[in-house]
Amino acid sequence: MSHVLTQEKPNIVQRLVRDHSPLVIVLVLVFMAICIIGAATAPNFLTIFNFKTIIRDAAIVGIMAIGLTFVTLSGNFFLLSMKETAALSIIAFATCMAAGYGFPISFLVTMGIATAAGAIQGLLIGLGGNPIVVTLGAAGLFFGIGSWWSDNLVVSFRRPHGAEWLGTGSTFGLPNITIAFVIIAIVAEFVLRKTSFGRQVYLIGANRAAGRATGHENFAMAIKVCIIASICSAFVAVAFSAQVSSAHVNYFSSSFGSSGDMTIMVIATVMVGGNSIMGGYGSTLRSSLGAIFISTIDNMMVLHGFNSGPRVLAVGLMIVFSIMVFALVRRGSRAEE
Amino acid sequence: MQPLLKLTNITRSYGAIQALRGANFEIMPGEVIGLVGENGAGKSTMVKIISGFDSGFKGEYVLNGEALHFSSPIQAERAGIAVAQQELSLIKTMSVAENIFLAGDKVPTFATMRSLGRMAKPFLEEVGLGHIDPRIATERLSVGEQHLIEVARLLAHDPQLLILDEPTAALGESDSIRILDMVNRLSARGKSIVYVSHRMDEIFKISNRIIVLRDGESQEPRQAADLDVNSLVELMLGRELNNMFPVRTPITKTGEPMMKVENLWPDRFLERISFDIYPGEILGLAGQLGSGTGDILSAIAGMTKTRDGNLVFKGHNFLPKTPKEAIDAGIAYCSEDRKHDGLFLGRPISDNLSSTALGKLSTWGIRSDAKEKAMVSENAVKFTVDSSRLAQEAGVLSGGNQQKVALAKWLAIEPDIILVNEPTRGVDVGARAEIYQKLRELADGGAAIVVASTDIQEITNLPDRVITVYRGIQIGEIALEDMTAATILKEITDPFDETGLLEGELA
Repeated sequence: MSHVLTQEKPNIVQRLVRDHSPLVIVLVLVFMAICIIGAATAPNFLTIFNFKTIIRDAAIVGIMAIGLTFVTLSGNFFLLSMKETAALSIIAFATCMAAGYGFPISFLVTMGIATAAGAIQGLLIGLGGNPIVVTLGAAGLFFGIGSWWSDNLVVSFRRPHGAEWLGTGSTFGLPNITIAFVIIAIVAEFVLRKTSFGRQVYLIGANRAAGRATGHENFAMAIKVCIIASICSAFVAVAFSAQVSSAHVNYFSSSFGSSGDMTIMVIATVMVGGNSIMGGYGSTLRSSLGAIFISTIDNMMVLHGFNSGPRVLAVGLMIVFSIMVFALVRRGSRAEE
Repeated sequence: MQPLLKLTNITRSYGAIQALRGANFEIMPGEVIGLVGENGAGKSTMVKIISGFDSGFKGEYVLNGEALHFSSPIQAERAGIAVAQQELSLIKTMSVAENIFLAGDKVPTFATMRSLGRMAKPFLEEVGLGHIDPRIATERLSVGEQHLIEVARLLAHDPQLLILDEPTAALGESDSIRILDMVNRLSARGKSIVYVSHRMDEIFKISNRIIVLRDGESQEPRQAADLDVNSLVELMLGRELNNMFPVRTPITKTGEPMMKVENLWPDRFLERISFDIYPGEILGLAGQLGSGTGDILSAIAGMTKTRDGNLVFKGHNFLPKTPKEAIDAGIAYCSEDRKHDGLFLGRPISDNLSSTALGKLSTWGIRSDAKEKAMVSENAVKFTVDSSRLAQEAGVLSGGNQQKVALAKWLAIEPDIILVNEPTRGVDVGARAEIYQKLRELADGGAAIVVASTDIQEITNLPDRVITVYRGIQIGEIALEDMTAATILKEITDPFDETGLLEGELA
C-alpha cells in the first residue's frame, strides 16, 4: 500500500530532481550554502534587531521596485527616471516644508508633481515612444528642474516637524516606513491579482497586440503605470526627507555613499525577483522579496566588513544568478510539440 | 532500391507527453512523400528528428545505408538534409542574393553584389524565380516568393533531401501553385522531398507516397494513387469524418440587415465597398492572399483606419476608431494570426477566455473569481476546449485548440457580429470540423458571422453567401445555389478574363 502511495506522490526531493535541470539545482544549492555559511559566521546577524534593520533597509528600494514592477509587467520595460523623479520630489517636499506649509500640503504638492511627471512619461510612451529614450530624457529634465530649483544646495527644515512620524517614528516597535512597505506590498499584490486593472497589466504585458484586439489599449495603461511608479518614487523621497529633515538632488545618486545608484538598485530588485523583463509574467510580491533578499545579502556583507565595492558586485552577481535560474526554470517547464 | 533515409521504431517523449511512439519513416531517392496527420500527431517532432533539431530520440536512423544520430542541425545539413521551416528565416532587409548565401558556403572571401547575383541566378531559376533581380531587397517580394527564396537558399547547399513544412500555409492559390510546380521540378531532378501539409488537395497532387501519423504512431506508407480524400482523413483521424462542413439551408433574408457597410474604403482597396450583413447568416469574403478581404474585417473591427465610409449598425451610424469601441458595440474580431493578436500565449487559458469581458466580471474594478471561473468554464465547454486544462498556458496548446480558444474568448461578450479572418489556418481536420460546427451554431443563434478565407474548400462549403474580392476590388456576390469552387476561383483570380492561367486548373 505504502509502495503505491510513494509512486503516486513523489516527495519534494524527487519532484525537484524530476522538474528541474541539474544546473539549476546545483546553482541554488551553492547559493543557499553561501547564504547559510554567511549568516552563521556574521556577527549579530541572527538577531531580531538585525532582521528589523534588513526589512527597514529593504523598504526604501522595495517601495520603488513595487511601483516599477507595474511598468515592467505591463510590457513597458523600465523607467530610467526613478532616481530623478525622487530627486525632484524630495526637493519639492523639503522646499514646501521649509516654507512652513506643513506635512499634508507639502505631501500633496509632492504627489501632484510626481503624478504630472509620471503622466508626461506615460503619455509619450503610450503614443509609441521608446521607454528607454523617453525616460532618459525625462530623467535629465526632472534632475535639471530639481537642481535649478534648489540651486544645487541642501534644503533643510527644522525639527520638530509634521513628517517625523513617517521618517523616524515607529508603531509597536516597528518603524513606520517598514509598516508602509508592508501595506504597499499587500495593496499592490491585491490590485494585480484581484482587480480588472491588474489583469489588464498582465494581458497587455503578455501580448500588446492581443491586448489592443481585446479592448485593452496600452495608451491608457502606460500613463497609469508610469504614474504609479512615479508616486512610489515620490513617497520614498518624502519618507527619506522626513528622516533626515533635509533634501538634496544627489541623495539618490551613487555619489551620496549609498551602495549603488538608486535607479539601478530598483531595476536590480525587479530583476532579482524574477519578473519577466518582457512583461506579462511576475508579481509585485516577487519584487518585494527581491528587495528583502538583496537587503539580506547586503546586510550580511556589511557585518562581515565589506565596503561598498564588493557589495555592488554582489548585487550584480545576484542579478546574473537570478536571470540564469529563472530562465532555466521557465525553459524546463515548457513541453512543446 | 535502397531507401535514401529510413527511420525505424522512433520514440520521443517530452516529460509526460509521448510525441512519437515507435514511428517509422522512409523515403526513396527522387520521391515525394506527403507527411500528414492532425496537430499533435507528431509531424513536427518527426521533422525535427529527421533534420537534426531534436537529438533526444530513441530508434534507428539510417541515411544512405549508414546508421547515424545527429546531435545538431548543422550535422544534418552537412549530410544533405535541408528543412524549410513554416516560419521564414530570411533577413528581410538584405538582398535576395545575400539571403541565398547567408550560410556563406562556396562564397569567396571578397564578393561583389554582382558576383553574388551571378552565383544566385541558377538557384533562383531552379525555384522558378529566374526573372527576379537577385540584388533587390527580400522584403520587396511577395510572401510566396519569399518562401521560394527560402527553398533556393537550401538548394545552395545541394541537399539530397528537402523537407517542406507547410510551405503553403500562408499562401494564396497562385503562389501555392508555384510551390507545387517547384516540388515537381526538383523531384524530377532526383531530389527527395518530404512535404508536410494540411491541405489535402496538394498532398494528392504531388506525393508519390503518403505517410500518415496518428497519436505518435505511423501507418504504412501508401501509394497516393490508392487513396482518396475521405480514406486519407479516415486514416488520420482513426474514424470516419462524416461531414466536415455543417449542412446549409438556404436562408431567406427577411427583415433589416444587422449591419450595412456603406462606402467603406479600407487600405489596399482601390474603390469603396458596400454590402449588407444579415443576422443568422455566415457571409464569406473570398479572395486570394493580399486581395484585401482581411482589411475589410479589420476596418469594421476598428483595428485599422479606413479612409472613408460608414457602418449602419443596429440603426445607428457607427464607425469604430479603436477595437474597444467595436467590442463595446458587440463586434468580435479574430485576425488571421492568432499568435500575434489573438492570444496571450504566456497567460493561462482562462485569462485568455475572460480577457474580452473583464468589465462584466468586476464590480468597482474588483474582479469576482467565482464569476470568472463560471463564465470561463462555460465558454470552454461550448468550444470543446478541455476545461481541466484552463490553468495551463495557452502556448502549450496545439494549433487547433489555440484557435478554439481565440474564438471562444469572444463568447464572453455575446457578440452580434463575429468577424473571422482565416478561421482554420494551421488547424487540423478534427478541430476544423468542430470550429465550422460552432460557427454555424452561433449563426443559428442569431449572430451574423463574416468569414474571410483564402482556403477555397472552406470558402465554398461554409458560407451561405460569398462576396468575392480581387486585388482591392469588390467583384460580386455569389448565392448558395451558384457556389462552386470553380465559380469562386474564377472571380477571385481572373474576374476580367485577362489570362487563360487557370483554364488547366478548372478543367
